[in-house]
Amino acid sequence: MPVTVRLPGALREATGGETKLSASGATLREIIADIDRRHPGFASRVLDDAGVLRTYVNVYIGEEDARSHGGASAKVPDGSEVMIIPAMAGG
Amino acid sequence: MIDRARIVLPRALREELIAHARESAPQECCGLLLGDGEAVRRVMRCRNVHPAPETRYIIDKAQLFEAFRASADFDRELVAIYHSHPRSPAYPSPTDRAEALWPLAGYVLVSLRADTPEVFAYRVADDAVREIPISEG
Repeated sequence: MPVTVRLPGALREATGGETKLSASGATLREIIADIDRRHPGFASRVLDDAGVLRTYVNVYIGEEDARSHGGASAKVPDGSEVMIIPAMAGG
Repeated sequence: MIDRARIVLPRALREELIAHARESAPQECCGLLLGDGEAVRRVMRCRNVHPAPETRYIIDKAQLFEAFRASADFDRELVAIYHSHPRSPAYPSPTDRAEALWPLAGYVLVSLRADTPEVFAYRVADDAVREIPISEG
């Protein structure tokens, strides 16, 4: 069963304008790779060159912060809702 | 797509921003201006969790998550992100420009450097800054 990925318009350029996508995978990394296959470049907006979640990107699996569950290796249960939310920061 | 050419900020909510900035000084305050399109209907004060809050801000990600999750159309509801500059002008700093990841939202800055606080709004994207007018309604 695929998962639903929600993201704000701030990331829409990386998904061809879509802000709600269906994706498949058992881990967050696999989910991101699945979206990247359809929207090349998406993964680089979320993961750094080492495959780690970027500092200024927050990801939730349901109500859980993915960083507290292994980051990109976090397991994503079937039917979950994944939310990818850029940080709000400055100086 | 929402293209905010201005922000409608009622006087009472503008005063709320200034009050938050004053209460937080010398640290920077931060939060969300929520409403519909260009019109701000409420101020959501957020926690500044940056370890150097006198010169930097990061909105508490838990608060951001709750606001995002609760909204059926966050891009429309998020009119602007605000923060204060206790000692510098109400203009996006190099850090503000470098860390601006929400190109559809306005960025509202409150400066306390003068006796009379200043409040200005901008669109910030790809390191480019464009001021947008604020009206009271």
